[in-house]
Amino acid sequence: MLPDTLQNLPRDERYAYARLLAYMARVDEEITVDELAMFEQQLGKALLSPNQREVLRRSLKNPPSLEECLDGLGPEAGRLALRDAVLMAASDGTVDDDELEVLKEIAEHLGLVPDAVQQLIEWTKIGYAWMQDGYDMLNALQG
Amino acid sequence: MFCDGVADLDASERARYADLLVLIAAADGELVREEIQLLEGFMGRAMVHPEARTSIRQGLFDTNRLSNLLKNAEQETLRYVLRDGVLLAAADGDYDRRELRILKKIAVAAEMGEDELKSLFDWVSSGWEWHADGITLAKLPARNGSLSE
Repeated sequence: MLPDTLQNLPRDERYAYARLLAYMARVDEEITVDELAMFEQQLGKALLSPNQREVLRRSLKNPPSLEECLDGLGPEAGRLALRDAVLMAASDGTVDDDELEVLKEIAEHLGLVPDAVQQLIEWTKIGYAWMQDGYDMLNALQG
Repeated sequence: MFCDGVADLDASERARYADLLVLIAAADGELVREEIQLLEGFMGRAMVHPEARTSIRQGLFDTNRLSNLLKNAEQETLRYVLRDGVLLAAADGDYDRRELRILKKIAVAAEMGEDELKSLFDWVSSGWEWHADGITLAKLPARNGSLSE
């Protein structure tokens, strides 16, 4: 949860980034509270207008196709979206087969190395551990 | 993971959480884009209602509410504020003394000692490294081995 290069992208790229995350949130047909919180977090970080956020929230109910999402993505926004799509997919504790398939499809569309998704999953695991450390620290304060 | 118990707090506590983060962001008298980005992200993760976010954003211009917020916020909320407040204060790459002062006040209210606060700063440093790795990783090379941008 730190500042990102995402904010340097033009607004339409940030919108395309968030649209792909909306798609990702619905890949396994259900959206958990964890995924929703992660989606809202990334929506906030993308610094989109309240109206754009509203449209994206509505798209959670009726997401666009993956092809539509990928069409609007530039290379940098695409790589950031892939990275954060991995974070989102893992936010409920596991990346299921459907999610993995979509992530690989995105990586392929972006022309990335074959193990790109695996690299990002490994990075995500480290992030999980770091976040858990912070959580444990707070819990320890309760005494 | 990144979606932790902060979203489970009562709506009023989540609003206080966001209000306090706004005060930390505004503490050094300037608000950079990185701080706004983090603030918006934290409010999103806490699932603060969009209308409530509008009034919370107004708090950037009213920085005299700290003592009231500290008096009314629950301990759990204050601990989340501290954790995310240290992340927020680090967002522009430097801890300003005014940011540190407000963080220390919150730590006192949260009954957190100096060593614990230092641990939190250390934790944030390691998070920066992890996140920087993610930015590097997002420049994953293309299939031909060259950088894709």
